[in-house]
Amino acid sequence: MSTHFFGIKDRVFGYSHTVGRNEFAGTGFRNPVDFALGADDVVYVLNRSYENRPDGVRVTVCTLSEEYISEFGSYGEGDGKFMWASAIAVGDKEQLYIADEWLNRISVFTKDGEFVRQWGKAGKGNGELDRPAGLAISPEGVLFVTDSRNHRVQKFTLDGKYLGKFGSFGDGQGQLNMPWGIALDKAGLVYVADWRNNRIQQFTAAGQWQASFGRTGSGVGEFNRPTGVAVDGDGDIYVADWMNDRVQVLSKDGRFITQFTGDNVISQWGKDKLVSNPDMIRQRQIAQAHSTDFDKKFSHPCAVRVDDKGHIVVLDHTRGRLQVYQKSREAVLV
Amino acid sequence: MDNQDIALMAHLLRRAGFGASRDEIEAKAAQGYQATVEELLNPEGQPGVEEDLLMRYQPAYNEPAAIETNVQQWVYYMINNPRQLQEKMALFWHMIFCAGHSKIDSGQEMGVMIRMFREHGMGNFKELLKRLSTSPGMVYYLDNSESHKTAVNENYGRELLELFSMGVGKDDAFNYSEDDVKACARAFTGWNIAPAFPPFPYGRSPWEFRFDPTDHDDSEKSFLGNVGHWNGDDVLDMLASQPATARFVARHLYNFFVADEVPVPSWRLVPPKDTKAIADMEKAYFDSHYDIRAMLKVLFNSSFFKSEAVRYAKVKSPAEMVAGLMRMVGEHREIKPGIFEISQEPKYMGMDLMNPPTVEGWHTGHEWIDSGTLVERINFAAQHLGNTQLPGVKSMVDRLMASRSAPLSPEQFVDGCLDLVGPLDVAAETHRELVNHAQRGGEAKHRTAAEKTDFTRRAGEMFQMIAATAEFQFA
Repeated sequence: MSTHFFGIKDRVFGYSHTVGRNEFAGTGFRNPVDFALGADDVVYVLNRSYENRPDGVRVTVCTLSEEYISEFGSYGEGDGKFMWASAIAVGDKEQLYIADEWLNRISVFTKDGEFVRQWGKAGKGNGELDRPAGLAISPEGVLFVTDSRNHRVQKFTLDGKYLGKFGSFGDGQGQLNMPWGIALDKAGLVYVADWRNNRIQQFTAAGQWQASFGRTGSGVGEFNRPTGVAVDGDGDIYVADWMNDRVQVLSKDGRFITQFTGDNVISQWGKDKLVSNPDMIRQRQIAQAHSTDFDKKFSHPCAVRVDDKGHIVVLDHTRGRLQVYQKSREAVLV
Repeated sequence: MDNQDIALMAHLLRRAGFGASRDEIEAKAAQGYQATVEELLNPEGQPGVEEDLLMRYQPAYNEPAAIETNVQQWVYYMINNPRQLQEKMALFWHMIFCAGHSKIDSGQEMGVMIRMFREHGMGNFKELLKRLSTSPGMVYYLDNSESHKTAVNENYGRELLELFSMGVGKDDAFNYSEDDVKACARAFTGWNIAPAFPPFPYGRSPWEFRFDPTDHDDSEKSFLGNVGHWNGDDVLDMLASQPATARFVARHLYNFFVADEVPVPSWRLVPPKDTKAIADMEKAYFDSHYDIRAMLKVLFNSSFFKSEAVRYAKVKSPAEMVAGLMRMVGEHREIKPGIFEISQEPKYMGMDLMNPPTVEGWHTGHEWIDSGTLVERINFAAQHLGNTQLPGVKSMVDRLMASRSAPLSPEQFVDGCLDLVGPLDVAAETHRELVNHAQRGGEAKHRTAAEKTDFTRRAGEMFQMIAATAEFQFA
C-alpha cells in the first residue's frame, strides 16, 4: 500500500485543548478580538464586548493551561480605557500595546496591566491613524500597524515615532483594502490580512511586495474576509478565515496544507460554569445528541498566533474561547 | 423642482421607509415617483447593508445573543438599509406576527425572526405563513412546542386564524368556528423545535424547527368545511386561498401604510374605511397568487395613497420617529458607538421592539401618545434637530441660507424651516406662534460670519420648536 503525502510529510496538526468560556468578567472572554502570547505560556486576551455590556471590555490575563491571572482595562475614552479595542501585541519587557480603532490610538501597559502611555492621532497624514486594526512588533522594536481605513501599514518606534508606511487603496499587488491582522516571520517578512481583498500579502519590512496568497471564495486556499495571520518557525502560514469559520494552514509558498474548523472539548472554566447549572448540563447533553458540531466548530475565528512550542492558538470569537492546536513532527494517531 | 413632487416623494419615503434627508428626497423626486416605487418594491436590485463591515465594527452582531444587541442591529438597519421598504415590511410583520422576548428569552431568535420578515416580507403570503409556522421563536412563543398529539395546545392554531391570517370575521359574518380552531391546532401537532445548546458556556445554538411525525395527529379533520387528514401545510394552503385572508392582509396594509383603521377586533363589524382600496388589493392578492409585493404595488401607485388627505394623518410609531429622525439629521448613518442608546429610544416612547406587550401587538395611532411618551418624543426630536453640527441639520441650514440671498423675513424663515423638515403644514395658530417667535430675532441675515452664526443658531432653535408641534408627531 502506498501513502500519498502530496509533499507534506514531516508535520501533523492535532487539536490539543480549549481555554476559556463566554464571560463578562473573570474566568472567560466576551467577544474577544485579539490576543497576544507572552512568556511562560501567558495569554493576554483583548475583549471588545459590546455597548450594552461595557463591563465586558477588558484584557483577560491567563495561561494556555487555563490558569486565571488577572484582568485590566475598562470601557471609555480616558487613559487606559477602550472604546473599540482592536489589537494587542507584546513588546520589549513584555509591555503590551493595544490599538483602539475608534479612538485611533495605541495604549501601552505593563504586563501587570498598569497604564504607561498612549499616542495616536486621527487622520490620513504620516503617523496619523484611521482605525488601526492589527499590530505586530519586530525583535528590533518596530511596531507595524495596519491602518485599515487608510489602507496601509505604518511603522512606528515603540514610543510612537513615525518611521514609514507602505500600501495604498486598491486590489493590485501590494495594494490593500481595509487590512486587519498582521504578523512577522523569523526572517522579518511582513504578512498582512488584506481583509476586503480576501488574500494574504507578504512584504519585506521596508514594504516591498513579495507575494499574495489566496482569492475570494470558500474553497481550498480561498478566503472570505481573512482577519488574522501568523507564521511559525517553518514558515507555515496560518490564516483566520473569518467568514468561512476556519483557519487555513498554508506552506510558505502559499500552498494549502490543511485547515482547522474547530474541535472544541469543553474547557475547565466551561465545566466550572456548568457545574452550578445542572439544568444546562442536561440541556447540553440532549442538544449534543441532535447536533455534535455546534459545540466544536469555530464561529468567526478572528485571530491566530503560534509559539515556539508548536502551539497554534485560535481565537474563537463568538464562542468566547481559545482553541489550541499542536504541531508535531511525529505521526500522531487520532 | 416642483414642490408637489417633493411633498409626494417625502410622503412615499416616510411611509414606504423611515423617511429621508432633504437631499435624498430631492434625488428620488428627480428620479421619479414610479421609478422610486419600483426600486422600493424590488430591493434585490440595490445594495444592502454592508454586513461584513457591520460585523467587523460590531462583532457581537454575529449570532447576537442579548436582546439589546438584536434591537441595536435592527435599529441600525432601519436607519441605514438602502432597501427601505424591506425594512419597513419587517416592522409591519413584527407588529402583526407578534412574538416577544419576554417569553422567548432568546434575543437571537427574535433577531432571526426579524431577518426572516426582512428577507421574505414582500414575498408570497402562503410561504410567509409557512416560515412563520416553522419559526422556532413563534413555535415557542405560542406554545406549539407544548402541543402534542395526545395533548393539543390550541394557542398557535387559534392565533394563526384570528391574528395572523383570516381574522375573526368580515362583513358581519364569522370567518371560522371553534371546531376549526381545534382542527387547525391538531394539524400543527408535531411542529416543534430541536433541542438547542444552552447559553453556558459558549452561547446558545440557533434554534431549529423540527417536525416530529410521531407526535403529529394524522387523524381525519374537518377544517373550513374540508375533510381530510390535514397537516399544517394543508391548513396553510386553505388559509391562503380564503377571501377573508385577502381582506385581512389588505386591511393591515392599508392601516399601516395609508390611514388608521379601527382596531382589528372591530373588523368583523366595521367595514374598511376605503372599500375600493381594499378591494383593489384583494384582487391583486388573488391575481398574483398571494404575492404581497403585488398588493404593495397597487397601494403605492394608487390615488388613495397619494391623496393629500392621508399625508401626515398617521401618528408616527416610536420606531418611525427614531429611525426617521436619524435619517433626517444624518446621525448614525455610519457604524459608530452610541447606537445602543438610540436603539432604546423607541422603548422609552412606548414601543419595546422585539417585545410587544401581547400577541395582539401594540395599540397604535393616537394611542402612541400619552403625556409621558409625548415628552420623550419631543425631547428626543428637539435634541437632534437642534444640533446644527449634525450633517443633516447643517445641510438644512445651508439650504435655508442658499434659498434667498437677501435676508429672510420671519415668515420666510419659518416657512423655509417647515419646508425642510417635511414639507410640513402646520395649523394656522401654530404657524402664528412660530412666526411670533421668529419675529423676536427680526430678519434672518446671513451675509457676514457673525450673521451666519446667528442664523444657524436661530434655525436650530426653530427646528426644535417645530419638533415640539403636534404636526411633527405625524407621518
